[in-house]
Amino acid sequence: MNLINWDKKNPLSSLTHIQHEMSDLLDFLSSAHQTENYISAEFPQIIVSINEENIIVRAELPGVKTADLNIQVVDEVLTIKGERKPATETQKINYLRRERDYGTFARSIMLPERVDIEKVAASYKNGVLTVKLPKSAEAKPKQIEIKRV
Amino acid sequence: MEKKEHPVVEKKKISPDKCVVTGKGSWYFPLADIYETADNFTVLIDMPGVDSENITVDMRDNELIVNGAVSQEAYANEKVIYSEYNIGHYHRHFVISDAINRDKIEAKMSDGVLSLVLPKAEHVKPRKIEVKAE
Repeated sequence: MNLINWDKKNPLSSLTHIQHEMSDLLDFLSSAHQTENYISAEFPQIIVSINEENIIVRAELPGVKTADLNIQVVDEVLTIKGERKPATETQKINYLRRERDYGTFARSIMLPERVDIEKVAASYKNGVLTVKLPKSAEAKPKQIEIKRV
Repeated sequence: MEKKEHPVVEKKKISPDKCVVTGKGSWYFPLADIYETADNFTVLIDMPGVDSENITVDMRDNELIVNGAVSQEAYANEKVIYSEYNIGHYHRHFVISDAINRDKIEAKMSDGVLSLVLPKAEHVKPRKIEVKAE
């Protein structure tokens, strides 16, 4: 292999490396019950945020073509479906290291509020999918006037 | 092609013993694929959320250093109510051997994936040696 692992420079560092891998593993196992990060075994991972007008759902989907993505909203459920395809080369390729994965995925998210289905907009930039779901008129806060009697 | 279920991607935080982490925000270790073709090595690195202007690829001594900075500006007027992944900058470095022609490394960013093409040096390319009959 022509790309040499950085850690190989120092022979002792591989031991430290093992030690850290072990401690990472222990951290991972002990945190599994506590943090939200590991609850969901789903792809893509999402972040949901809100502002006054919209519910915004973001997902990291690097290297997915927009043509391979399918987004649907039915009532209060948002569904993101798609496929991530492996690298395509005209010539024969030989993998030396493989960490990135590919395959099909589908995920549904129950939204916190009712949305205006007609006005849902999705954009994809730098590998991040952003779905903007405007809250429906009923869900927005309404100012109620107080009448004097 | 065989279809398969996409597994979960877990972001690995860079621990301080592996390199010195400085600067604002968290740093993450992006996932990478390395493959070889007849003429090149290609490195694909997942760096979602990074703009092509915010990526630096440096060749220093034997190291190819990749840094990607993310901006969280989009979240300025929003309140995050549910979060499964962390947002942070990306850093990864690779040690490059003599088998690579360092002057001709190319980098391209598309859809959050950085692709680095490292051409093989002439002396490592497969060459057929003719056998002469005497």
